[in-house]
Amino acid sequence: MSMEDLMKDEHFKLLTFLIVSARGCVDEPHLYGPLRLIDAASKLIDIMSREGKAVKELIEVKELIDKNKHLVMYDESEFVRFLDDLVVRIAKLIKST
Amino acid sequence: MGFEDILHVIKGRRSIREFIDKEIPREHLTKIVEAGVWAPSGSNIQPWEFIVVDDVKMIEKVKLVSPGLFGNPKALIVICVNRAKYERGGSQGRLIALMDASMAAQNIMLEAYSLGVGSCPIASFNKLAVKELLKIPEHVEPVLIISLGYPSKWPDPPKRRPLKEVVHLNEYGRPYEG
Repeated sequence: MSMEDLMKDEHFKLLTFLIVSARGCVDEPHLYGPLRLIDAASKLIDIMSREGKAVKELIEVKELIDKNKHLVMYDESEFVRFLDDLVVRIAKLIKST
Repeated sequence: MGFEDILHVIKGRRSIREFIDKEIPREHLTKIVEAGVWAPSGSNIQPWEFIVVDDVKMIEKVKLVSPGLFGNPKALIVICVNRAKYERGGSQGRLIALMDASMAAQNIMLEAYSLGVGSCPIASFNKLAVKELLKIPEHVEPVLIISLGYPSKWPDPPKRRPLKEVVHLNEYGRPYEG
């Protein structure tokens, strides 16, 4: 793979996001850790979607993340409730398999 | 422009994290960054340096090392402070330089808003990586990135702490009644 191709590769983009976020979390507000993780989850669902692996429920999870992730800056308790909701959704998805 | 116009601009500005696919004219970018240059500066040291990034490939690269940079902006302004300049400010030099950079950032975002351009200040980026990508010398420190682009929507304003909670009259704790 050429360097040009690497720059366009979604796995590589997610990889750099994870590494840079790991360093950022050392100094950033503690709730930015959860923010980076769900943002990474959204990016991963994007990749799964392109690869034909994302079921409808996962697409909904991504849409929810993209809609609500910025709550962390405006309403922390609502952000935590939103994380709880995501966990329940994932648990239901696991349960249904 | 009167006081009400300025307050209107201040209250109207939002942090924009979703942009439409529309280029910002170069003359508008120039006005936006020029607004930064006209910010107040402690001891008139003007410790700032501004790197305008409008190359699509470079924006993508900066995005990769900036977890706090959302959406697809058409330009970035990387605001830096120059140690060789701010050391003239003594032991408080860096702190005052950061204040100067913050005031420049606000000027930039207000000017952008007045031109219909959305912006977002971003501190969540990796400084070492941005320095490497943009060939920033050792004595220059990137402290804030402003993303710029036309917004897909202007969001509602988030809640503000009320005046009577944050403004004190003559002594701390005495409420200010507007």
